[in-house]
Amino acid sequence: MTGLVRRFGGIAGMLAVVLFFAINVPDTFLTLRNWLNISQQISMLAVVAACMTVVMVMGDFDLSVGSMASLSGVVAATLFTQDWSIPAALSAALAVGLLGGLINGVMVSLVGILPFVATLATLTIYSGAAFLISDGRTIFGRDIPAAFGDFARGGPVIGMAGERALVLPNLTLVALAVVALIWLVLEQTTYGRRLYAIGGNSEAARLAGVPVTWLRLSAFLFTGVGAAVAGLMYASRVASANPTQGDALMLTAIAAVFLGMTLTRDGQPGVLATLAGVVVLGVLDNGLTQMRVDSYVREVLVGAIILAAVGFSALGRRGVLGRRP
Amino acid sequence: MSVPIDAGGAHELRLEGLGRQFGAVRALDSVDLVLRAGEVHALMGENGAGKSTLIRCLAGLERPDAGRILLDGLPLPSGHPAAVRAAGLRFIHQELHAVRGLSVAENMFLDHPYPRRAGLVNWRAVNRAAQAALSRLGVDDLDPRQPMTGLGPGDQMIARIAGTLIDEGGAPPWLYVMDEPTAALTGAESERLFAVIGEMIAAGAGVLYVSHRMPEVLRLSDRVTVLRDGRHISTRPLGETGQERIIHEMTGRDLSALFPPRDALQHGDTVLGVRGLAAPGIRDVSFDLRAGEILGVVGLAGAGQGALLRALIGAAPRRGMVTLDGQPLSATPAGAWAQGLAYVPPERRSQGLMLGRSITENVALPHLERMARGRFFLNRRQQARRTGDLGAKVRLKAATLSQGCSQLSGGNQQKVLFARALAGAPRVLLLDEPTRGVDIGAKSDLYRLIRQLADDGVAVLLASSDLPEVLGLADRIAVMQEGRLTHLKENSGMTEASLLASFYDSGDAA
Repeated sequence: MTGLVRRFGGIAGMLAVVLFFAINVPDTFLTLRNWLNISQQISMLAVVAACMTVVMVMGDFDLSVGSMASLSGVVAATLFTQDWSIPAALSAALAVGLLGGLINGVMVSLVGILPFVATLATLTIYSGAAFLISDGRTIFGRDIPAAFGDFARGGPVIGMAGERALVLPNLTLVALAVVALIWLVLEQTTYGRRLYAIGGNSEAARLAGVPVTWLRLSAFLFTGVGAAVAGLMYASRVASANPTQGDALMLTAIAAVFLGMTLTRDGQPGVLATLAGVVVLGVLDNGLTQMRVDSYVREVLVGAIILAAVGFSALGRRGVLGRRP
Repeated sequence: MSVPIDAGGAHELRLEGLGRQFGAVRALDSVDLVLRAGEVHALMGENGAGKSTLIRCLAGLERPDAGRILLDGLPLPSGHPAAVRAAGLRFIHQELHAVRGLSVAENMFLDHPYPRRAGLVNWRAVNRAAQAALSRLGVDDLDPRQPMTGLGPGDQMIARIAGTLIDEGGAPPWLYVMDEPTAALTGAESERLFAVIGEMIAAGAGVLYVSHRMPEVLRLSDRVTVLRDGRHISTRPLGETGQERIIHEMTGRDLSALFPPRDALQHGDTVLGVRGLAAPGIRDVSFDLRAGEILGVVGLAGAGQGALLRALIGAAPRRGMVTLDGQPLSATPAGAWAQGLAYVPPERRSQGLMLGRSITENVALPHLERMARGRFFLNRRQQARRTGDLGAKVRLKAATLSQGCSQLSGGNQQKVLFARALAGAPRVLLLDEPTRGVDIGAKSDLYRLIRQLADDGVAVLLASSDLPEVLGLADRIAVMQEGRLTHLKENSGMTEASLLASFYDSGDAA
């Protein structure tokens, strides 16, 4: 019985959440349009959380992703104001993400600073840089090319609901592509399994010929670039950029990975599990908003649900809730 | 200057019929033992003889299921560390639980209340008491105010012993149980510890000294007790026993049945050539390892056996020349594995296995690229097939290959590491303590496997502190002393005693 709870408890919990909103928001919650909307709302989080999974499988994490997302949006928007083309500005923003990830990787892996400390410091640096570049202002309006903002609003039409077309948002497609890529890297390549090996026992991995230092460094490039991609998605969605708009992504992404870990059998981070965690958080946010729950109350509720899920999982793992299967 | 330790009269601790069962294993089987103040009592036995269990029962960490412990004729409540402490027993372990950030004096006061003045810690009194306690052991050159991290492991241990002398109002300690105290110490540090032990005995305290190191035991102890398979074999005054007799009593059984027969030596060409190798813990090591031979590497703990293997697999920086089939050997673990070396580390849990991961993942780890499609994309089917084949070869007993390694027994965990080592069809196998903590059945499987590999032409370097194992398996034996290879000879006509003796004599450099 307890084995069943441990194995399927997470999925049952997700279904219960969906059922709860289906009953309480009967007209809109279960419509395809709403789920397409949710998919767009969570797309940025999905990208950041998927990339966060790459470093978390090694037992590290990256606190700088939120401010990197803000920075990349600001960099692109600032370059737009100087008449850079869209591809050039986006490339520059992604290069900033790569550089930021490289700095994190060097500090953690070569210099040997704890990831918490190193990425806390770069969080501050990237955030400060975003304010410096934007002068602390929001960049919006005619400075942003129309095509850039239109991207987030567009997407392939997949059907009709009455008069209105149902659009699969481009941002959702981007998120799916990133998640698929990360899944491929983590689950199907020698590179990914070596990252898992570092997380499993880094000394054993080293003695078995895994180049721990370089792999650890390289993994931070994923979080850097992923955060930059998410920052650009955000900027496109709101057709503007300000130096704090990505900040909230960091804590939510880490929460999503932890939430995902409670869903896996072995309690390890995994990118599909992370995606499930992202969906849970997105559904909660969407449903509670539709129920007109105050946003502060919403935060309290979401935090409490994360605590409950992870706590339940930890107790189960320690055998407090019965023996291991 | 040394002030006598107040041992509070001549105490005596008597163990009567002490027993403890773990599952099917009788770890301790009606052991009688008398420990007295004023003498060093050595406790000897092989791994698994019951020494640790006996110490844990003494410390109150384990509750014996038979027998009792009497202090001066009065029974001690079993399973109560606090009562044991109140009875005046103190335990010094080889792992020092020193708090790195604190000073020597603070570490000495870890289990005492700090002297206070006006509610605040009186640091002057703390340091003075620490200094006084060190002086009582004849140690006057340690500043109690310096950080513990500034001390070597030997002085850290001495500080811990001195910490037990700080007056705390209760019964003063009179019996010290020291478990392999010199395992992490250099020769000079050990000498200093022996001097401290001398001071303690002169002041009327008693010591139960647990060590594998024969010379220390022969030098320090007044009486020697030997345990074997959980049973008390003998307790003799040192004058009535000696190295040969102790070793015979410790090993007892006929070990030769455990080892597969060695054929007449028919070794191939040199596979691994080592010239002037230096690395952390070793210097100027040269030897040749030939195809099909098992070369045993022995010495006192930390004499460089493990360091040699680590340097060869590339886990530690090294200088000097190492060749594999005449070609220079890569200095990184990845390169060494790829060239045909395989390594089984001494600590399977911390250095070998990813405990939370499956058997297949653990076996495939160094060989991911060779088992992949186009070097990059995993081929799980090939991994599983290869792991299955190797599992059969090493006689791994597991429910499924996707089982997590944490659920396997020690012997089967070790077999997973052997399967990993064999998965790349190695030319050279580096084994560091390959049967440590492994039951006798798995041991016999592993011995047969090692011999079979050698017969198939693999060159094996076997570092082990288990001397019967080395004598039973090796074709040649290399002895290391303080990082240097001092003896290298054919394994014929050697005994444990002669091997042990060669750990000390200066030898003919190989």
